[in-house]
Amino acid sequence: MKLLSFGLVAALTLATPAFAYDGTNCKAPGNCWEPKPGYPEKVEGSEYDPQHDPAELSKQGEALTAMDNRNAWRVWHMKQSGEFEYDVTKIPGYEEGGTPPAE
Amino acid sequence: MGTAGLQPAMANDQLIELAKDPANWVMTGRDYNAQNYSEMEDINKENVSQLRPAWSFSTGVLNGHEGTPLVVGDRMFVHAPYPNTVFALDLNDPGKILWQNEPKQNPTARTVACCDVVNRGLAYWPGDEEHAPLIFRTQLDGHIAALDAETGETVWMMENADIKVGATLTIAPYVIKDMVLVGSSGAELGVRGYVTAYDVKTGEQRWRAFATGPDEELRLAEDFNAPNPHYGQFNLGTDTWEGDAWKIGGGTNWGWYAYDPEEDLFYYGSGNPAPWNETMRPGDNKWTMSIWGREAETGEAKFAYQKTPHDEWDYAGVNVMMLSEQEDKEGQMRKLLTHPDRNGIVYTLDRTNGDLISADKMDDTVNWVKEVQLDTGLPVRDPEFGTRMDHNARDICPSAMGYHNQGHDSYDPERKKFMLGINHICMDWEPWMLPYRAGQFFVGATLSMYPGPKGDRENGLGLGQIKAYDAITGEMAWEKMERFAVWGGTMATAGGLTFYGTLDGFIKARDSDTGDLLWKHKLPSGVIGHPMTYKHDGRQYVAIMYGVGGWPGVGLVFDLNDPTAGLGSVGAFRRLQEFTQMGGGVMVFSLDGESPYTDDPNVGEYVSGEDA
Repeated sequence: MKLLSFGLVAALTLATPAFAYDGTNCKAPGNCWEPKPGYPEKVEGSEYDPQHDPAELSKQGEALTAMDNRNAWRVWHMKQSGEFEYDVTKIPGYEEGGTPPAE
Repeated sequence: MGTAGLQPAMANDQLIELAKDPANWVMTGRDYNAQNYSEMEDINKENVSQLRPAWSFSTGVLNGHEGTPLVVGDRMFVHAPYPNTVFALDLNDPGKILWQNEPKQNPTARTVACCDVVNRGLAYWPGDEEHAPLIFRTQLDGHIAALDAETGETVWMMENADIKVGATLTIAPYVIKDMVLVGSSGAELGVRGYVTAYDVKTGEQRWRAFATGPDEELRLAEDFNAPNPHYGQFNLGTDTWEGDAWKIGGGTNWGWYAYDPEEDLFYYGSGNPAPWNETMRPGDNKWTMSIWGREAETGEAKFAYQKTPHDEWDYAGVNVMMLSEQEDKEGQMRKLLTHPDRNGIVYTLDRTNGDLISADKMDDTVNWVKEVQLDTGLPVRDPEFGTRMDHNARDICPSAMGYHNQGHDSYDPERKKFMLGINHICMDWEPWMLPYRAGQFFVGATLSMYPGPKGDRENGLGLGQIKAYDAITGEMAWEKMERFAVWGGTMATAGGLTFYGTLDGFIKARDSDTGDLLWKHKLPSGVIGHPMTYKHDGRQYVAIMYGVGGWPGVGLVFDLNDPTAGLGSVGAFRRLQEFTQMGGGVMVFSLDGESPYTDDPNVGEYVSGEDA
């Protein structure tokens, strides 16, 4: 039944846009996207390929890691000294990317 | 160490206790239910016509003034847009600035803010035996700072978002137990959204949860969505994206939170996927555009419901979450969450398990969706009003600004009505291809926006509505048109009044039963924040921030003329400058304008030899 209705929809979408992606035909629970008539299932290699540069895609993750590391030093230093110091270069023993000594 | 374990629960209870006292307004939505509702009835339908300004305060900056001040005891804490200076005022003598804390920020932060340099508010932690009470502030440049509530000194400051990759902060921090939650902004620059919890005392990170990507980074509980497996469960943070597109997939949360201490769940919505060009990101793009129920202690998600799978309209799903307890249609008492979304639907869920209770259009002119099926939870899209490459879609309602945006609304538990500040804006939309470069805008669509069918398209007016909504019956008790979008939210009181500010510069009070306009006052500038109320020295005050801006104000604020500029808002709000100019401050009202200064004009006078 499922196969039949899928085939029926696929056949009709070409002629009648009313049967286009309406969000109710699900491949799996929570996964109901379908390409619109005339648009690709996968954009890679198509005219709509975003061609993302992996180096650009990784910048956010790198930024978070670096910030979390600086924060860890700030927290460590405050616990050690009772004083808060934002500027990590003023924290004794700080090394960029290194982890603060274990307490 | 033994007592340290007890303190979180105590701090948590303290905030709940403080919120019960009408003297205080200790968090964004007044209390954890986020109802913006006050039991006070000193100011009521009968006497609201006598409401007058009692005193006012200028923040000294322009740009949009969102959010609302906090009041704790004798103090009012006022936040401001960039550079996000915080002021503490003395309610016994509001002319006295007790302290101000102005951070030094890299001005480059301004260039990566999508929609004006707004900020939505402060948070308060009541302190414990060893630690003084704290005020929390987010900064546009990505920092979260803890300030001593007594002195204003910075206690700690941590980096949460990096402006170099386009990540900023405009959301108000939110305190639960001994943690402060911080959201994220930047989906217009391809920022992958996340929420982070920090220890209030040290700033140490407790947990962080993303909106897209692998399940570990989504922080899903083992039984995630078990009560509603059809919502989807595991691996969808990657499976509903093509390749690594989820790494720049948006889903930031810059709206509001609510919290149920009994369930230990907090609620919020994740924003839109990036880019706006839908053709560049096939898939449902989970878990952007979702209502989340997360365990505060661990950050683990118990449920998530995606409202707008594969967004095509920038219906960023970050809007207000209002908690209530009401009988459902079967007469069963339910713990509920009601959420007016950008996409034009008001969602009500069982907040213990995520069950969908109702999903009604907030206006019958919503056309991207035919209906939301309550059994499947799926929105039935109308393909005619979708967007796609090589196509200019027209007359889509709502527009990207939504039929509801960042305004923090209210719920009247006596009348069982939600007071909704609504937008009435539709749009044309045409996407275009663009590359992703970290730190640069990643939108990829040109928009033209204008009043909805019930407004005046020719004259560019009639862009807003205010309505009283019943979440169980789905009916609107009353509805009224407004000249401009009701952007700032609402506040309801036991006095039978619903207060709200307007973009054209008024604070208004309507009859909560009929919607009749009972009172208004002309403020110096348009309003984009929500009203608040508190009692001081036995007198009820109503306060509101003024200072137009935000997304509807970008044309006016940045002097833009191209109707498609400002992500399409410039055209929609072309008439705004005929009614208001920029401003920035707080205006406080009381019956007959009574204040410490009308009680005694000598209050606050200079006395030779006295320090203050």
